[in-house]
This record gives sequence, C-alpha cells and structure tokens, in this order.
Amino acid sequence: AAERSRAEVDATLQTAKLNPAELLPAVHCLSFGPQAGGGECCLLQLEPGLCAELEAGRSLVIRGEKDERAVLCSKDKTYDMKIADTSNMLLFVPGCKTPEELNGDLESCNIIHSQIAGFSKNYWELRRCRPKLKKLRKLLMEDPYEGPDNQKDQTSTFSKYTTEDLLSLIQASEEEILHQLQVIDACKIEGYWRILDFDYEMKLLNHVTQLIDSESWPLSKVPLCACLEELGSLEPREMIQHILLSYGRKYVDDGEVFFEMREDKICRAIARMLLQNAVKFNLSEFEEVWQQSVPEGMTTRLDQLQGLALVDKSSRPETIFLLKVEDLPEDNQERFNSLFGIREKWTEVDITPYIQDLCAEKQTVGALLTKYARSSMLNGVKVYNSRRPLS
Amino acid sequence: SGGAGALAQWVLVELQGEVQPRQSGDLAGSLLGDLHYTHEGVPVLIVGHHILYGKVVQLEKPFAVLVKEGGAPQPSPTEPHRQYTVTALIKTKLLFKTRPKPIITHVPKKV
Repeated sequence: AAERSRAEVDATLQTAKLNPAELLPAVHCLSFGPQAGGGECCLLQLEPGLCAELEAGRSLVIRGEKDERAVLCSKDKTYDMKIADTSNMLLFVPGCKTPEELNGDLESCNIIHSQIAGFSKNYWELRRCRPKLKKLRKLLMEDPYEGPDNQKDQTSTFSKYTTEDLLSLIQASEEEILHQLQVIDACKIEGYWRILDFDYEMKLLNHVTQLIDSESWPLSKVPLCACLEELGSLEPREMIQHILLSYGRKYVDDGEVFFEMREDKICRAIARMLLQNAVKFNLSEFEEVWQQSVPEGMTTRLDQLQGLALVDKSSRPETIFLLKVEDLPEDNQERFNSLFGIREKWTEVDITPYIQDLCAEKQTVGALLTKYARSSMLNGVKVYNSRRPLS
Repeated sequence: SGGAGALAQWVLVELQGEVQPRQSGDLAGSLLGDLHYTHEGVPVLIVGHHILYGKVVQLEKPFAVLVKEGGAPQPSPTEPHRQYTVTALIKTKLLFKTRPKPIITHVPKKV
C-alpha cells in the first residue's frame, strides 16, 4: 500500500472534526510491517534489574529441554516463565516517538511512517525461582572420579561435562551453576567437571588426616607444601590439593599456604561413611564408633548430621539412619510427599534440614510448613503431617 | 540473548479488542491509522471511522521484544525453549482504553 501523504492525513483530521491547532504537527502513520502477522516476535515482561542487564549488553538465556518447563536465566538468577493473557491487543512499534521526544520539533509538519513490527494478546511473565540444580549432581554422578588408576577414566568422555555442557543442560544461571559446583566440591579434571567417588574421597581424606596425626600438626594449621611432598607419591597433587580445599579453609601465613581443617565437615563425612553400610544403626553404638573414627582433637555432635541422617527417637533402642537431602525430590510437593512417606509426623526441628533448600527468596520454613503440611499436637509437642491421605 | 551495542527502544500501543484487516488477506502492509498527540501530550489515534483517546504510560516493568531465530511459528507454553534474540526494549506504552468515538457523531469545537 502506498504511504499516506500529508494531504490525506489532513483530510482525515478534517473528517474527524479534529482541530489541527490543538495537535502537535507531527503524525505517525501506523501500518503493519511485512512480518507483523508472522508471530515471530513475542513480549517478555522484565523483572527489576533485567532491563539494566540487557542495556549493559548482557544476555538472557532461555533454558529447558523438551520435558522441562522453560526458565529464563540472567547471569546470576533464574526465573520461571509463564504466559499472561490480556484481553487487549498489544502492538509493538519501532521508531514511535512520545510527545516529549516530539516536543522539540514544533515547526515541521512531518509524517513518521511507522511500521508495526508485531502484535500479541499475551506476553511472558517472569517469576524468580530456585535454580534447578538437582540435575547437576545427577549428571556428575553418572561418572564419579575414582582416581587416576581407574581404567574406566581413560576411555569414553560420554558422561563427562564441560562448563559449556552444563550451561546448556542445567536450568540455572551461570553463577548459580558455578556456585553449586563449589558447594558440591566438584573439581575440573582435564577440562571436565567431576565429582569424586565417595570411597576415593574418603581415601584421600584419610591420607591427609593420617599425615596430620603422624606429624602432630595442629588441625588449624596444616601446611600445603608438606602435604603435597609427603602424599605426592600416593595420589595426584591436584587431588591432594582438592581434598584440602574441600575439607579445609585456605589461608596464607608468612607467605606459606595453610589449611584450617573443618571439623564439622570431616565428622560429617566420616558419619556418612559409617552409616552407608547398613539400613540403620543403634544410636549409642553409632555415636561411640563415630567419635573413635574421627581425627584426634575433633568432637562429634549429632547436629553435624543435619540433612544427612535422621534419628528415630521412637524406637527402643533409639536408632539412626542415613537420609540425604540431596537424594530427595526437588519439587516442593514431591519433597513433602517423600518426607511424609518416610515418617508420618515430623517436628519442625527434624524436618527443617530437609526442606530448608526449598525456601524461595524471602520465604521461611514456617511458610512452607503452613502450605504443605498440617500441624497437630503429639505429647505436648507440635508435629507436622501430610495434608493428604497417604495410600 | 542480548548483544553489545544500544538496544532499540520501541513503543507499545495497547488497544481494546481485535485488530482485523479491512480487506480479506492478512495484515501485512495494511494501514492501521494515524497517531496524533495533543499539545498536552494526549495520544489520539484515528482508526477507520473511530477516534481513540489514550494516555502515555511509563511501564513499571519494561518489556523486551524477543525475536525467534529461524523464523519458526509462535512460541507456545509447551515449546518456548529455542534461540531468541532481544531486538528491542519497550519502556513506554500508549494505552487506548476509552471507548472509541465514532467519527460521524463527533461534535465539532467552536472555532
């Protein structure tokens, strides 16, 4: 269609009985661009901060496989995406000026031919969500690193993932992924992110704790160099360093690198090692063996096992069994179903370590319990059970 | 993904109801109407035989305009995960919510 002329615009104004003197001289003649009906454009409503990120030249990425609900990731946050319908028609117009932008130009009677790039009755809405990181551990557990002597490692790279691989497979932002890799003590071996096989990890830890013991080093001042020297013939230096970084806090004193060993984490790992060999243990027997198994100078406490093991106070004698929060479902409802399947009634103290990670930004454990559980009193203590009848 | 270099700023025009072409055939290339502004900054849109008065709204939550790469069909809730490029940002909308005034019954102002 031919572009409208000033004469035609004026004629329309006259027919409409509008007074040109009351209007700014510039007019936008809106028409539909060639691609307008194609549906290739869509609108994404931006949460605070995202607009600034885009303007700074940073990217937003939509992630999700065919069986996953899509999420949007900025550099450090993850958002659920949802379609919002309006009852109105939204037209997107490039090069359309606002009155402020036109006001500097009172003289010219110009026509701005604006092409509508697209239109929609809906747009994508974002809601900040927890990054979906369970898959990260699952992927890395496909092929845990068992040490350099392990034959398996020389062969395929099938279940091995680089940072790029993880970015394309995990529904989370890059920062959230890198942070989680640190949390789970993953390490990069030959360019691939690996999680240590637990037995190998304990073997490494044992080398270190034995050395600390034989050298009588204080647990708060373990020298890196000496460790590498003494243990370098037994294990790769990178692995010795990795285990020290995982189980200690690195610091520099007088130019030398030392580690302050993390008592809670070491005790917890040893507990896991003991507990994984049976369905459950007599609690007092376990506590005795556990204390004897940890390095000299360390003290075991049951609260070190939050999210790792659960004590059954109702059995006689009391027992303890392994229950790792990372083995439980990631979805809120599924997590609660799973927990109530394990135990019918939970106190808040017992259940908190197993639902803490479900809390969204600014959400409390109490709010989760209100939503997903029903409370009652049992022997004067407040307990939570499932909202739904379990089969 | 976004990109380096300034992003274009577009404007959203929000209308009630449907937009339909006058002639049969699709919309591409057809005229919508003339957009004027009064001296007070009120947007006035003449569409067909209607005058619509609206207002300029600064969006609390701006929009990004995503363009699907590869020219595939409209993203749906089940299949949104493809390659998109952020083409433009929209921080302003022209909201036409008032009922359109038919041109025929428009009362002329006294000159």
